[in-house]
Amino acid sequence: SSGINAEYGVSKSYPTRGPILVVCGPGNNGADGLVAARHLVQFGYQPSIVYPKQPIKDPYPRLLHQARGMKIPVSTELPSDLSSYVCILDAVFGFSFTGSIRSPFDTIIPSLASSPVPVASIDVPSGWNVESGPGSGTPLHPDVLISLTAPKLCSKEFKGRLHWLGGRFVPPDIRNKYNLTLPDYPDTEQVVLLNN
Amino acid sequence: SSGINAEYGGWMVTVDKWRLVAVCMLVVCPILKRGISGMACKQNWSFLGQRDAQNLDLDLFNEYQYSLDQLVELAGLAVATSVSKSYPSRGPILVVCGPGNNGADGLVAARHLVQFGYQPSIVYPKQPIKDPYPRLLHQARGMKIPVSTELPSDLSSYVCILDAVFGFSFTGSIRSPFDTIIPSLASSPVPVASIDVPSGWNVESGPGSGTPLHPDVLISLTAPKLCSKEFKGRLHWLGGRFVPPDIRNKYNLTLPDYPDTEQVVLLNN
Repeated sequence: SSGINAEYGVSKSYPTRGPILVVCGPGNNGADGLVAARHLVQFGYQPSIVYPKQPIKDPYPRLLHQARGMKIPVSTELPSDLSSYVCILDAVFGFSFTGSIRSPFDTIIPSLASSPVPVASIDVPSGWNVESGPGSGTPLHPDVLISLTAPKLCSKEFKGRLHWLGGRFVPPDIRNKYNLTLPDYPDTEQVVLLNN
Repeated sequence: SSGINAEYGGWMVTVDKWRLVAVCMLVVCPILKRGISGMACKQNWSFLGQRDAQNLDLDLFNEYQYSLDQLVELAGLAVATSVSKSYPSRGPILVVCGPGNNGADGLVAARHLVQFGYQPSIVYPKQPIKDPYPRLLHQARGMKIPVSTELPSDLSSYVCILDAVFGFSFTGSIRSPFDTIIPSLASSPVPVASIDVPSGWNVESGPGSGTPLHPDVLISLTAPKLCSKEFKGRLHWLGGRFVPPDIRNKYNLTLPDYPDTEQVVLLNN
């Protein structure tokens, strides 16, 4: 997991401290969410976690335990009422996502898509094709996208309010190897805004 | 003296003008200071003794199940952030790493200093073979940071020297080669920033006799250590913004608020 990143994008996008719902999928995108939730507590928010599929492989149980250690409530089900959150942090699927969406995410993601409050997605809006973007049906259109390391191809289709880049740890050789042209991060900031 | 009449809760209050100004300044000053520079007004912050510092660390690993990688990464980022705020001129930085976790913090800080635009190089005389130290060193090399086992003889060209030699676990005598390295840092022609404990200090009582290190900058992690009361340098930062609320309660930690999403807060002027 990328550690300290997604929570910066969330905090800068939604300065009003309040409750945040963090919806975590079964992989590393979910792990990023578990970590972001902890840091959101430090930043003064009141996150709660939805974590329907909890892998038993290290480090996932430890990351979950750390989140509980910060007194963050954890549930396996999405609340029916989403209206009271400052925002919802979509940490369901990331850049590894392929194929069909398995239960319960096949109902969770449409609920996020019709959410009454803004959604911030980590790296890839969940359910999008990682390269071509939103498919047919009713895809998620997040208010905020927090790309990690470098924006994914599908982010070209992002039409939301704020697109952040985080993951300020790319070694120079990796930049060269993958031909990454990335914006400069300002001074010691861990995220940079890619759009207005 | 001119008074100001105010009605407060049904009571008429006459307040001397200058007393009112003083009260307003007491209230407004912390808000202004916080907003302007992320400084915390002087208060009685908690200090950790050596045993508490060690136990708190053990709690983070055992009870809270953090890995050393996780904590060192956050600590190293806080250190790099503090160094950057203390020495805004981008340039070469010498990172001198000891054989333990203070050294590991240094290895991580060096990586982030590259990201922040500095040119760190690492001195790492004693390199443990136990995980995660070799991986952390490998990560630093992956950022093209030069690594040496010896202190350069000429220290004058660095923006600063980051002292990552000894931390809160330090006891006893200083083994070679740190017994010569630390005096070299103490007489360094450029400023020294120490991670958590100025290396060679007693973690509780501070600098001993002889020629102890007197760093320009101290970056306390989690909570300031007792010895930091003896710190007389320019800037005292606090980093390690990951303390669970129950740990705060268990060790009775009164700590300043970190400003918005900052990873460090200034404890002094």
